Amino acid sequence: MKTIPAPAAIEPISVPSGTPCLELRDITVRYGRGCDHCRSGEMRAQRCTHCGSVYGCRDVSLDVWPGEVLGIVGESGSGKSTVLAVSNLDIQPTSGSVKLLGDDVSSAEGKQRRRLRALALGIVYQSAQANLLMDVTAGGNVAERMLGAGWRRYDAVRSRALALHTDMELPEDRFDVPVGMFSGGMRQRVQLAKALATSPPVLLLDEPTSGLDVSVQARILDLIRRIHAEFQLAIVVVSHDLAVIRMLADRLLVMRRGLVVEHGLTDQVLEDPQHPYTQLLVSAQL
Amino acid sequence: MSARLGELVHRNGGLAGYNYAYMDESAKREVRRGLLKAISLPGHQVPFASREMPVARGWGSGGLQITLSVIEPSDTVKVFDQGSDASMNAIALRDLISRTCEVPTTTDPREATLIQTRHRIPEDPLVEGQVMVFQVPIADPLRRVAPRMTVSRRLHAERDYSAIWLYLYEDHARLGRSSFASAHPVEVEDRYIMTPSPIPRHDCPRLNDAPFISLFGAGREAIVYAVPPYTKVRPLSFEDRPFEIERFATGCALCGATDTYLTEVDGDANAQLVCSDTDRCARRRTR
Ligand SMILES: Nc1ncnc2c1ncn2[C@@H]1O[C@H](COP(=O)(O)OP(=O)(O)OP(=O)(O)O)[C@@H](O)[C@H]1O
Ligand SMILES: [Mg+2]
Repeated sequence: MKTIPAPAAIEPISVPSGTPCLELRDITVRYGRGCDHCRSGEMRAQRCTHCGSVYGCRDVSLDVWPGEVLGIVGESGSGKSTVLAVSNLDIQPTSGSVKLLGDDVSSAEGKQRRRLRALALGIVYQSAQANLLMDVTAGGNVAERMLGAGWRRYDAVRSRALALHTDMELPEDRFDVPVGMFSGGMRQRVQLAKALATSPPVLLLDEPTSGLDVSVQARILDLIRRIHAEFQLAIVVVSHDLAVIRMLADRLLVMRRGLVVEHGLTDQVLEDPQHPYTQLLVSAQL
Repeated sequence: MSARLGELVHRNGGLAGYNYAYMDESAKREVRRGLLKAISLPGHQVPFASREMPVARGWGSGGLQITLSVIEPSDTVKVFDQGSDASMNAIALRDLISRTCEVPTTTDPREATLIQTRHRIPEDPLVEGQVMVFQVPIADPLRRVAPRMTVSRRLHAERDYSAIWLYLYEDHARLGRSSFASAHPVEVEDRYIMTPSPIPRHDCPRLNDAPFISLFGAGREAIVYAVPPYTKVRPLSFEDRPFEIERFATGCALCGATDTYLTEVDGDANAQLVCSDTDRCARRRTR
């Protein structure tokens, strides 16, 4: 893989050593107002029977170190995307703290939040529509992140976008084509190029391969592994598919109904699951 | 529209029944309050209570409300439209202003203290003390990229302009140049991105460090904004893709000028390029 020049005009964000890149502490996200019954913490159901509030996640803690891949697995509605949205500063948690590169960013808003998103974080969503502008070219979608970070030289933006484009194994003649005309797998590649555009230290992947053909899925997973080996990023990958997690993750969180029910080294958890839910999950997979 | 008003004014004997400058004093004060805020925050869009005017919204009612709010009997007014003092719209507005404000009018921008315009800045250099009033159809330069006003207000507040830069990137990637023929977005005093109203690119650099005051009014959107004298105004462009004004193959077919903005007119046989600023062109020819 050829080396992609770092964007000189973008002041790179420094990664302090001795601290995780991303650290969540006791994150709770509540949709709805809550009541005494569910706020007390004794109620562990995802939906409060008294007030009807839904807990996207509850008391979730995690940390990810440079070069590490953390997997989050769980059934639909278990809160995986919620945890990722908190990590990407898309939503502010109801309680708990978020640390990015050692700084508490729990209450980051406006400009600061935009800066962190632009320089410290990259994200790939399950649905490309949520992240890419369909009537904008592949190059433009990748360029947007550099422009958002304050880069103002057209040739430099374009050549870096093109380098990322080809590095994600996208055909060069599709660089100036609107992504609305791309296949699902190609869109995920564009999302990856966009996420990496500003060389962020943290990469968040929300179901990066679901909804793709199996063969396409395998090629995207290979690409993610290569990106990981190459850039030494801290990666959080969310999936309901244990095969994906097994292939990518060093460590693993198992979520169910908004709670983390088990965590540990991926091999360990999958070899010897402790929680009945994880046991069910593993046996269903094999 | 204004002809009917004219009849009314006549029937009632001059200005009887109308306040000076048509609008009532409280409405003018409201516009002036908006303008003061606009001048304090160059390029920032300020909402104001846009009134019904005896011209349809979209026909210069925003500019007209500004003119009527700041005008004094000692002013001399020029109104022109796409460079012409003789267009229907310019005539109607000029007629309304001169009747209700009792001010002399002129076509020579050098004699005017207040110039209301649609789509042009006069070619003649303007000086300190002169006021330009621009009629604005669409006030928000982010309209194309963020159609919802609530979103666009937040983008302005946070100075989040990546969407408009992306628009520019896409232009260069697909066309090799910016696609803004008129209303090329400008950055004001390194802060707000503003639309200079649909003036041609030729006129954009003339807003930079200008000695005159520029006031912008969008009646339909109920927005005013301003550029005070000697303010930095920079057309949006990549560092390595400099902003360029229109270039013409020939000079003006009438006066021979080579440094003016030209428009095509249908001659009998073939189309000709002539000065869009008709007053200045006529003066050059008679000289
Ligand atoms: N905006 C919202 N308002 C109310 N409830 C929400 C909202 N967003 C998510 N939820 C609820 O929070 C819970 C967790 O949702 P989340 O999207 O995090 O699950 P997930 O694990 O990503 O599921 P999936 O695998 O289907 O993507 C779900 O019960 C969901 O219905
Ligand atoms: Mg999800």
